[in-house]
Amino acid sequence: MRILLLSENINKKLPFVSHAVSSRSQLPILSNFLLRSQKGKFYICATDLEIGIEENIPANIEEDGEITVPARVFFEFISGIQKGKILLYTKETSLFLESDGIKTVFQTMPPGDFPKLYEDKGGKQGTLKKDVVEKNFAKVVFAASQDNERPALSGVLFKKEKRGSFSVVATDGYRLSLKRDVSVVEEEESSDGVGFLAPVRLIKELISLKNNGDIGIYSSKKNNQIMFFQDETVLVGRLIEAEFPNYEKIIPSDFSSRTVLDRRELHQAVKSSSIFARETTNIIKFSLEKNKITLSASAPSLGESRIDVGAKTEGEENEIAFNARYLLELLGNIEEEEVVFEMSGPLNPGVFKIPEDPNFLHIIMPIRVQG
Amino acid sequence: MTKENQELWKAILGEIETEVSRAIFLTLFKHTFLISFENGVMTIAASSVMIVDLLQKRYYQIIKKTVDKHTGLSVKIIFVPKTIFPEIKTDDKDGPLFAGEEKSTIIGHLPRVRKEYTFQTMAVSSSNQLAYVSAQTVAKKIGTAYNPLFIYGPVGVGKTHLIHAIANKVFEESQDKKIFYITSEGFTNEVVEAIRTNDTARMKKKFRNVDILAIDDVQFVAGKERVQEELFHTFNTLIDKGAQVVLSSDRPPSEIKKLEKRLSSRFSGGLTVDIEPPDFELRTAILLIKAKKYDFPLTIDAAKKIAEHSQDARKLEGILLRIMTEAQSIEGELSNNIIEKVLYNNNKTALSYYHPDEIINNVCSFYKIKPTQIKGVKRDALLVRARQIAMYILRSRLNLSYVEIGNILGGRDHTTIMHGVEKVEGLLSGELFSDEVNKIISTTGGNLVD
Repeated sequence: MRILLLSENINKKLPFVSHAVSSRSQLPILSNFLLRSQKGKFYICATDLEIGIEENIPANIEEDGEITVPARVFFEFISGIQKGKILLYTKETSLFLESDGIKTVFQTMPPGDFPKLYEDKGGKQGTLKKDVVEKNFAKVVFAASQDNERPALSGVLFKKEKRGSFSVVATDGYRLSLKRDVSVVEEEESSDGVGFLAPVRLIKELISLKNNGDIGIYSSKKNNQIMFFQDETVLVGRLIEAEFPNYEKIIPSDFSSRTVLDRRELHQAVKSSSIFARETTNIIKFSLEKNKITLSASAPSLGESRIDVGAKTEGEENEIAFNARYLLELLGNIEEEEVVFEMSGPLNPGVFKIPEDPNFLHIIMPIRVQG
Repeated sequence: MTKENQELWKAILGEIETEVSRAIFLTLFKHTFLISFENGVMTIAASSVMIVDLLQKRYYQIIKKTVDKHTGLSVKIIFVPKTIFPEIKTDDKDGPLFAGEEKSTIIGHLPRVRKEYTFQTMAVSSSNQLAYVSAQTVAKKIGTAYNPLFIYGPVGVGKTHLIHAIANKVFEESQDKKIFYITSEGFTNEVVEAIRTNDTARMKKKFRNVDILAIDDVQFVAGKERVQEELFHTFNTLIDKGAQVVLSSDRPPSEIKKLEKRLSSRFSGGLTVDIEPPDFELRTAILLIKAKKYDFPLTIDAAKKIAEHSQDARKLEGILLRIMTEAQSIEGELSNNIIEKVLYNNNKTALSYYHPDEIINNVCSFYKIKPTQIKGVKRDALLVRARQIAMYILRSRLNLSYVEIGNILGGRDHTTIMHGVEKVEGLLSGELFSDEVNKIISTTGGNLVD
């Protein structure tokens, strides 16, 4: 392999590819980048076996070939070269890098050891607009479970609603985030339309794509894979073949109290209360009254706090307690001015809505407090 | 994925594990499964295309070698990307949010209260019926029916079961009720802690802000002045605001020594019910219920045999458990032999707690004589009687030899002891006399009672 490229071009892409480098894999090959030049194109790939990223980087290719190189060292070194041309070439099992006044050699591992990210693309299902992804997905993905013990909950569900739209759902069993009616351009020949359960990490990467181009969705049932293509970037992940819980069933249809709050004010009140809450059980209690809700938290060793947040409450006065972390994550991931909170009794799930975004819904399981 | 296949693949993996590095095994092999194995083709599932690729490229030879060795065939191996998740057995695999209607209303259970102690799991007969019904009424009409409800009775009759049942019932019916169950020892500790940290306000809030306060074994507050004072005020506050108080004790309020008058009178202010030791039929029923709980096939006859043995329900459960363990360890049917053996051993171990001197002391205190007198040489009628009864108890209950008893009772000849024991046995047919003997025995401990 022998290629010539511009430092700014590789520096633009390398940070994103490195997201897929396994941080603590026990397989050494997975802490490497695969560099590959083939048919006039140069690619850099990384994978941790859960997700994979491939970037195509503009380069002048003199000779095809492939090599793997320790990702961290390579990434750090390249990012130190701010401008100018970089020449990369292999000689036996070493990778040489030459640039203005720089001559480096990297130890490598055989490229044959590096897993192939995908066999074939599979069928195209549809196309997503980047701004649709940005606007909608971030409000949902944070609710997914972080542990892999409950596979279905460690994924984000894309559920086809009707032609040209789907719902995005994530839950960890204690809270659930749902965004309905997300628009997608579906392929004519794809009869199933868009519908799959994908690992939350993959969707987080999808949100963090820097470019603004359209995103093509491809999936292959045979290979059990889902792929996103945007411009020169490919994101690969496995499909989760587990049954997602029936979330429609748990969405409360009714409420006995409903209150409208300023999102920023509530967020700040939760942040302040959580200073006390986090010392012990991380519980924040809401007391709903006509013109305010009071957030209270206490820690025997620190003291306690009561913060009033102005509100317009309809229905009965009520009390409910939540885990502060869930509230913080929800309020940190939405941007709208107002939030609506609905509840029916201290033991039933509380529902958060956004008046400006009627397709959004967030449910949190309360904590039962004794005494 | 049949069981045989699973076993086969497990064996194969076990061997591969020794040949590749631990890192490789964990990342690539650990989550593979054998999906099918027929006509010389083995299909293996791995969780992603990338893993499939690595297995095919780098480890096909090792896998094939091991598979061939285990199957004795030349097998073609195919890998497919497919995630197979281990079965999750718990009910709430999707978390509390999806736990369903009934379950979502009851999250967890009350602290310190045992979930399985409900009204449904309690066997009722004439000995505990009144207490049972009163407890049910209290659970239904909190604070208005009988306040306080004071349940007393000896150990192992089900006082705690009833109190827990009230708590569980109220908790199940209405979640907004604050229920606080604590033993009197726990209450004492709370008071001591509050005094130590100089924070009685917090403790007061904790106990006075409830709808139901249940204190188990309240007799233990006897003699503890600060605790009694705190209990008195807590009690008044709760009763005043209509909260329910439930108490249990081993004796009625009036008989708890060193209990302040004002507390004792307040404890008797509601309904005081006693639970008598379970009668024979109830004990049999309890044994059958417990056996069913453990899925143990206990026949009625066997249950009767065990029930004859002790009056204490808790002890009966202990015996039952031991019988179950015995029956399991010899993997056989539950024969009478096992029951007899356990009952016999039970007797022996229970009795071995008693020192002969204890028996002698009890006999002496019954007849108001001194141990030196019983061991001495005088032959007054009362002394002889006490001495002979002591001989009888030591012989029949502690299984001591005549010689040993002779030594204990001041170096008497073994024939003297034999004569004494025979004499008492002969007199036992007389009702008055046997009552006397039993009374002496029962002061030593229930274990010795027939």
